[in-house]
Amino acid sequence: MQREIEAAGMATISLANIPELTASVGVPRLAGIEYPFGRTVGMPGDAQGQMAVVRLALQALVEIEHPGGVRGLPFEWPESPKEANAPLEELPPIFQYLRKHITKVRNFMNRDIPEEFRVS
Amino acid sequence: MMMTKTIDSYRFLDGLTARVLRNWAAREPKRQIPWTPFSKPLSECTVALISSAAIALKSDAPFDLEIERRNPWISDPSYRILPRTATEADVNIYHLHIDHKFAEQDLDCIFPLRRLAELETSGEIGHVAPHHYSYMGYTCDAGRLLEQSLPGIIQGLQEDAVDAVLLIPV
Repeated sequence: MQREIEAAGMATISLANIPELTASVGVPRLAGIEYPFGRTVGMPGDAQGQMAVVRLALQALVEIEHPGGVRGLPFEWPESPKEANAPLEELPPIFQYLRKHITKVRNFMNRDIPEEFRVS
Repeated sequence: MMMTKTIDSYRFLDGLTARVLRNWAAREPKRQIPWTPFSKPLSECTVALISSAAIALKSDAPFDLEIERRNPWISDPSYRILPRTATEADVNIYHLHIDHKFAEQDLDCIFPLRRLAELETSGEIGHVAPHHYSYMGYTCDAGRLLEQSLPGIIQGLQEDAVDAVLLIPV
């Protein structure tokens, strides 16, 4: 999506917490941040922290001069991964499905939708 | 020039999810990268946000979660428009793979509209765009998502004369 918006004439940057995946699709600009899912910009209520992140993401947008440029933002999440993650109330549908259909795990690893689930 | 830190993409992910995402990253073909040079000062730019968290106004149609529940390989490929004034009180978050409670307390932790408004007031950015966008980020069929949502999003951004877009996947 970012690529197409860039191609349409707007400068874009992703603030990504899985920068390896985002970079792999060939985005024009990327600011990586080591923050957990659901809190990519910061902790709820921490306006100052969030502002620091937004400012640096926009600074990266301005500074990156070549297509595919990546910056790693210097922020450190204050919690350990264990503290930061609580199990979801409802396991995502794909994981519920894969538990019962272990042979399809390979499809998922390859992002290859099984024939019976393909939508025209 | 900003110092750059090496980011561990998988620090907060469990082993299986990390393996899946590593695989997906490894399988992507190399592509030509589109490029629009950044041409005017940030203080003159109109900035818009795009989130993959499937955020929608409560007054708007919900994202259809039955699509993903019936077929766990895909999801609702539509998008929603969020006005610049949207707060956690005005929206629901529909993404099934993240914990919503943080954004429900404070939308800015995934969709920092208030922070952008503050940057506009301070003059660091020119304008906050009137409209922002959200879609459902999880899908194994990205083609369908792009087909359904991209034209509308691009048109909206162009109508608002947006110069710069900050995309925030969750």
